Amino acid sequence: MSREPLDRAAVGLGAAGVIAVIMVLTNGDPWQLVRVGPVASILTVVLGGVAIAGGRLGRPPLILAAGAGYLGAALLQLVQFGRSSNWVGGDGSTFSFFLGLGVGLIVVATTRSSITEHVPNQP
Amino acid sequence: MDTDERASMPTRKQDTAEEPLDSSRRARVALATLRVGVGLMWVQNAGWKRPPHFGADGDPVSGLRKFTGYAVEHPVFPPYAWVVDNVVLPHFTIFGWLVLLAEASIGAFLLVGLGTRLWAVIGLLQSLAITLSVLNAPHEWHWSYFLMLLAHGALWATAAGRAFGLDGALRPHWRRSPGRLAAILMRLS
Repeated sequence: MSREPLDRAAVGLGAAGVIAVIMVLTNGDPWQLVRVGPVASILTVVLGGVAIAGGRLGRPPLILAAGAGYLGAALLQLVQFGRSSNWVGGDGSTFSFFLGLGVGLIVVATTRSSITEHVPNQP
Repeated sequence: MDTDERASMPTRKQDTAEEPLDSSRRARVALATLRVGVGLMWVQNAGWKRPPHFGADGDPVSGLRKFTGYAVEHPVFPPYAWVVDNVVLPHFTIFGWLVLLAEASIGAFLLVGLGTRLWAVIGLLQSLAITLSVLNAPHEWHWSYFLMLLAHGALWATAAGRAFGLDGALRPHWRRSPGRLAAILMRLS
């Protein structure tokens, strides 16, 4: 079974994370789809880059690390959302976006790790 | 009509057979665009559900509390209005967290196309709850809510996560996995 579609999926999810930094340029409805503050923008670019590298190099641990980072940031955002100590600087949209990327990358990484590439018998 | 002519004519069964749906790249891109668009709608709207009070702490109330109250002030379906008045509003903080978690999850998983059929159904049910809350409220465009329901129906019916979503990349692995979890994920995607 090929690992390629899963590697491409990791690259796609990482790219989505990097592209989301564009949201820094937006302000309110209708174009601010995800609230990305200064900390969230750094997080999403770095973690997105790690996911892209993991997909391009075929390294599930990198994909898993990026997924765990996004999921951790999502949970931190959920706990601190609506409080004065909002380290990520986002809101429910940030939580939702990071949750999708985090769980998605973790599922891709764990599935990718479970695949044993078929190696043809040597003569 | 000779025998050869009869043989070349379509049978009644062929006449009534359904045409296969378009599975071209163009159609898959359009379907993925719909899925991502609907996902982003939920993602963006998770942003204004603000814990811990969800708008219940002001006078007048605002945010989620204001829109939930419309179900009672401008009832659409009396039994639903009764449930909101007697069950939801007295326990509004718990309800607010459930709505935030549900809508953020719908957005998250429709966006990446993971378990898309499940989340499309949950999105459809949440769209129905919103419709029953605000359909008769002032300044609402009823087709907004009808279109939400229809869009989620389309995402469910077409299993839209298989087009450029994680479901499409993961289903070949789930199909070959012997476990019960993989079988469940196959059904939900």
